[in-house]
Amino acid sequence: MANKVVLDSASLQRALTRITYEILERNKGGQGLVLVGIKTRGEYLAHRIANRLEQLEKETIPVMAIDVTNYRDDVLAHGDHLGLDEKDSINIVDKNIVLVDDVLFTGRTIRAALDALIHIGRPKSISLAVLVDRGHRELPIRADFVGKNIPTAQNEKIQVSVEEIDGKDAVEIIH
Amino acid sequence: MQRHLILEDGSTFVGEGFGAPATTFGEIVFQTAMTGYQESITNPIYDGQMIVFAMPVVGADGIHAEAYESVKPTIRGMVVHDLAEISTNRQRRMSLDRFLKQNNIPGLCQVDTRQLIRHLRESGPQKATIVDYVDDHARDQLAATVLTKQQVQNTATPKAYANPGRGYHIVVIDFGLKHGILRMLGDYDSNVSVLPYTTSVEEVLTLDPDGIILSSGPGNPNSLPESVFTLIRVLQTKAPMLGIGLGHELFAMANGATLNPLVAEYHGMNHPIQEIISQEIFYAMQGRGYVVDDQTVDRKKMFVTHRDLVDQSIQGLRHRDYPAFSVQFFPDGAPGPIEPNVIFADFFETVADYVEQYN
Amino acid sequence: MSNSTTKSKLNKVLFLGAGPNDFGIQGENDAAIYQVLPELHGHGYQVFVVDDNPYSVALESVAATTFWEPLTVTNIKKIIKDHQIDAVAPLFGGHRALRLWNQILNEWHADDGQIPRTLGLNPAVLRESADITQLNQLLIDAGLPVIQSQVAKSQTEVNELMRSLSLPLVVRANNPVQSNTRQIVERLDDLEQVVDEVKSQSLLDEVLISKAINGMKEVSLEVLRDYRGNCLQVGASEDMDPIGIHTADSLSVSPVLTIQDRFMEQMRSYAFQVADLLQLQGALHLQFAVSEITGKIYIIKIAPYIDQMATRMALVTGYPMLLVAMYLSLGQALEDIELPHNFHPKTAMMEPMMDHIAVKLPVFPFGDLQASGVEVDRNLSSIQKSVGSTIGFGRTFIEALEKAIRSAHFNNRGFSPTYMEHISDDELIQQLIHPQDNRVLLFIEAIRRGYEVDELTELSHIDAFYFYQLKHLIALEQMVEAKIDDPNILQQAKQAGLSDGLIARFWHSDFQSIRRLARQNDIQPTYKALEPSAGEFPENAHQYYATFETEDESTPLGKDSILVVGSGAFRLGESASGGYATTIVLSELRRLQYHTVAMNNNSSDATLLPHISDKQYLEPLEISDVMAVVDKEQPQAIMVPGNRKKLIKVLEELGQRVLILPREKHLGSGPENHESEFSLNFFYDGVEVYPLIVGQHRAGEMRLLNQALDIKEDLNNLSLPSPGLYQIIWRADVNEWVHQIEIPDLSHDTWLRSVSYGQVAYLSKAMGIHFLRLIVRAMLDELTPRDWEMLQMISKNPPHVHQWMAKALTNYQLHLQPSGPIDTTRFEMGVRVVNDEQ
Repeated sequence: MANKVVLDSASLQRALTRITYEILERNKGGQGLVLVGIKTRGEYLAHRIANRLEQLEKETIPVMAIDVTNYRDDVLAHGDHLGLDEKDSINIVDKNIVLVDDVLFTGRTIRAALDALIHIGRPKSISLAVLVDRGHRELPIRADFVGKNIPTAQNEKIQVSVEEIDGKDAVEIIH
Repeated sequence: MQRHLILEDGSTFVGEGFGAPATTFGEIVFQTAMTGYQESITNPIYDGQMIVFAMPVVGADGIHAEAYESVKPTIRGMVVHDLAEISTNRQRRMSLDRFLKQNNIPGLCQVDTRQLIRHLRESGPQKATIVDYVDDHARDQLAATVLTKQQVQNTATPKAYANPGRGYHIVVIDFGLKHGILRMLGDYDSNVSVLPYTTSVEEVLTLDPDGIILSSGPGNPNSLPESVFTLIRVLQTKAPMLGIGLGHELFAMANGATLNPLVAEYHGMNHPIQEIISQEIFYAMQGRGYVVDDQTVDRKKMFVTHRDLVDQSIQGLRHRDYPAFSVQFFPDGAPGPIEPNVIFADFFETVADYVEQYN
Repeated sequence: MSNSTTKSKLNKVLFLGAGPNDFGIQGENDAAIYQVLPELHGHGYQVFVVDDNPYSVALESVAATTFWEPLTVTNIKKIIKDHQIDAVAPLFGGHRALRLWNQILNEWHADDGQIPRTLGLNPAVLRESADITQLNQLLIDAGLPVIQSQVAKSQTEVNELMRSLSLPLVVRANNPVQSNTRQIVERLDDLEQVVDEVKSQSLLDEVLISKAINGMKEVSLEVLRDYRGNCLQVGASEDMDPIGIHTADSLSVSPVLTIQDRFMEQMRSYAFQVADLLQLQGALHLQFAVSEITGKIYIIKIAPYIDQMATRMALVTGYPMLLVAMYLSLGQALEDIELPHNFHPKTAMMEPMMDHIAVKLPVFPFGDLQASGVEVDRNLSSIQKSVGSTIGFGRTFIEALEKAIRSAHFNNRGFSPTYMEHISDDELIQQLIHPQDNRVLLFIEAIRRGYEVDELTELSHIDAFYFYQLKHLIALEQMVEAKIDDPNILQQAKQAGLSDGLIARFWHSDFQSIRRLARQNDIQPTYKALEPSAGEFPENAHQYYATFETEDESTPLGKDSILVVGSGAFRLGESASGGYATTIVLSELRRLQYHTVAMNNNSSDATLLPHISDKQYLEPLEISDVMAVVDKEQPQAIMVPGNRKKLIKVLEELGQRVLILPREKHLGSGPENHESEFSLNFFYDGVEVYPLIVGQHRAGEMRLLNQALDIKEDLNNLSLPSPGLYQIIWRADVNEWVHQIEIPDLSHDTWLRSVSYGQVAYLSKAMGIHFLRLIVRAMLDELTPRDWEMLQMISKNPPHVHQWMAKALTNYQLHLQPSGPIDTTRFEMGVRVVNDEQ
């Protein structure tokens, strides 16, 4: 059975554009912004948002990527490795962090990311941008910027593809 | 019958009259779009103006019910090279000639429109008249003509009206809107309320809009009362807002920018427009006599979102603090490319977000 | 969506040519390649071209390294390996080159070395594009409205499909040998035969069947896309004839006149989507079926390569499309493209706007063939029968139409107001329903006989607009007939595009008298510039067309210019060699630093390319048209093809300096199957004769004999009209290829004639001597001592030639269904090279 495309390439791009404007609106400009993309795809989305910010504000916005698989509370093995090299970590103290992820589902990944960030330093604020919010939260986590709300059934799977590694831009529901 | 076009600068062009044998006066502009003559002549932005078409053959497809951009055209004249005369008794298609007659609008054909346009592009906007004879009387009348400043009043609705739907409630502030805007809102099944531009803040807020559109319209934005700008400044803080054409110009002015008149009005769909944030380029129908002065845009308050890559003019603005944005071009097309229809998609996504947040 | 390109530095680019001319390939690809070569070269690239067409001008480009050899996988791989080619540009060579390159990629082995980059399309998409079914499926999956075709490998499968499909049907060859061959089946009885015929055209022995959409309007769009995904529409054209008649056989109009904006915008949107799906970096021609009444739009053909539509749109809009397409294929963004100086700086990015009408009229070979005793099926269908086309430019549809008709039939054969007078009413109706060539004349006759517009629209499915236009034309013609010698009527007639010759016929006069009357009453053509901004911007225009309005934009070039008169539409027999000749001539004149003005009306011809002349007139080539340009430009000399005897006579009588490019009025018929025609070819520089080489011509092929020239007669006694290549021919009962032939007594049973353009092209390539350039130099007294040295040397010692010219494998049966064999010398479509080893 064919996958259902809920965001095609153009719509995905426009969603990122919209999120970018909303970030600037909320943050009152680019001051102190740091984008933190949650690996894997969140990282690419974060870079894309950073590119857009740069087009508008003409200043480079720092982008960081974090790997939170080891921080999730539902993963038994627990290391304290953020998947970050020393040189990659950016000073996040007093910064306005925008966490970027592709899909917001239960909220556990975000919870893990928040833990990780606070572990590194004390940012001024943390907000959350997601490409897709599919509902079914298990924790009190809420996205500040949403590309698209896509209500789904528990057993459905949302697949996000990004040009950089999947060869195309799309959000599909897989059965 | 032979008739003439006289321009303010004295030049005359001879042609063959069609449409109504009326003598009219107006500001003359030219258009290079190759399609959509019906949409253009019924577009209220041309109120009080005469349009010269670069496209040499006009009227081949008659007049269709689907291509009106207003119910009654208010242009002062139409100048073309070749009028494609088709029969008047065909069921589906009225001829352009008959359409103009019915609306008491004169047309002039068999004119060397290329020569005329090459002249107008240098001379800039001028008054013009379509007359039977070139004589002192005609010239005097033309000289004495004062071009209307009442275009918005002439084309915008004096009373509120609704275009009901089941979707979001969108309030349109009417400055002489084109139907394409309503059509696009209809595509999203919007529940539309069209209000006169003289409406008050209270009246609008009472309607509890999910989104606000500042419509396109004719004329000089400076001829609108201060109340319009106050209205915009307040409303932009209350709900998502989209300004189009004249609406964009008013949005810019309300937020402190000033406008410059163009040497020649630009009416066409051949200029590439770039969306700054994505660097994407697309084409859209434009019809403008003014452009926002880049220097007067307060970058602390506004983003420049779009630019025309040919003349670098500002084609889109967005407020930094509110979900309010505007575009100089026509995102609905009609006539013109439909790529920019996404502007409406963006608007409705913004509306959806806004409604989500406050409910 | 944007796809990034690896911007590694490219240096060596190979262009694959389109091969021999045929139905559907008329030389436009060659002209396109010829245009971009010097541009690339100028930017520091090393360019290479491979083609097997003796008539190719690209193969004689000084900007490229050229290979004249059969277009095979082996040959091309060798070129790539030997010269370490970085990138291959297959899209300029049309669908043939696309298919060939795809084949090469499929057959690439590790020991062939590094695969060159494919310019314009990535290889995966290229593979899909070569197969119609896959391509269509790609579009269908994306939600685009494509007519779905089903594959059938046998009659049985076809019959099964018939259960779910209804007539009428379209049957096409899957992976066809040549351009998509479509046939319509309207009756079940015809199905089996059609399937057989079409299947034979398929490389996979398969057919594609789908619902037929006859009667819908046929519209073509040409768009460009860059690697960032930004798209631009170059132009659109509508066919007067609805679906059911091959687009090449239809009268086409640009810009589109009878379709509303919202449909055009929808098609534009689809075109951009298709370009995106293909991730194209270059040009795309998309063909649609449209019905405004039902609102349905279908995509019927996808051509992501340069074809006739591309070169036509480039010509009629004045937009430098081929150059831009080339830059796009190299990975440049539209907004970054810089064009030569004569364009407005933003030209590449602005969508072209037309303020003129261009009518393309197909040229059919029926009359020519009939005159030689061969009857063909004149009924037009979805299989192409036209062999060439012309374009008429004007400010109204009628004017453009009249000029196109004049361009297509400049010798007035076949066009006359009373052409159709004698056909019966039954015949008339037959032809209204079953279209033949010269449809426009039929419609005119029908209207004259009182048919109503509505009736005609219903019978033909042609938009009423066209009939209203023809009605006006008839009314005008009737007025002209009635008011003899009336200057006001003359003005109106000229404005409508009627030629002096036609008016003369109405007034029982001659065209000179008409011209005189026009001059006396100041009825002169005004030349309008053809530029892509419709008057919005001042462009440094160099292309003009005549109309009768107020403003004349053309100022004489001056500077002792030379006017070169082109050959018009390509016809059977010479095909694109006419274009070859004038193109090389212009190139040489430029090299000799003359200022030149070119005149022609064929978009598949390289003659009008802006880089080989200073100014171009897009006009018919009748005497009046040439005279009008002569009056305007006052050239120091006029170069005319030798077959235009009347034109030459008139010009000479008027005291003009005429340079005659030798050309026979009619191509001689070729040798019969049992005999050979031998030719002793020689060059005449205006003073002396230089024998060159002996040729042997047998039906379908020509070879050059590597032998010494033992000539007894003194050829300098021959009286020859002008410098050029000539040949003395004789026939002999020789039924096989020989290595040498005794040259007979040339004073008996021989004929003297100028060498045909086609053979000039062949000789030039085979012998490695640019004969046309020599001819031009000879005409202008610019031959150098080196030239004479070389000519003398050849006489004594002809170069060893090992390439022959053979007729291309044109499927006359499929296209024309001739009643008898076609003399492929007189009526050749295209030729190819054959190497000695084969």
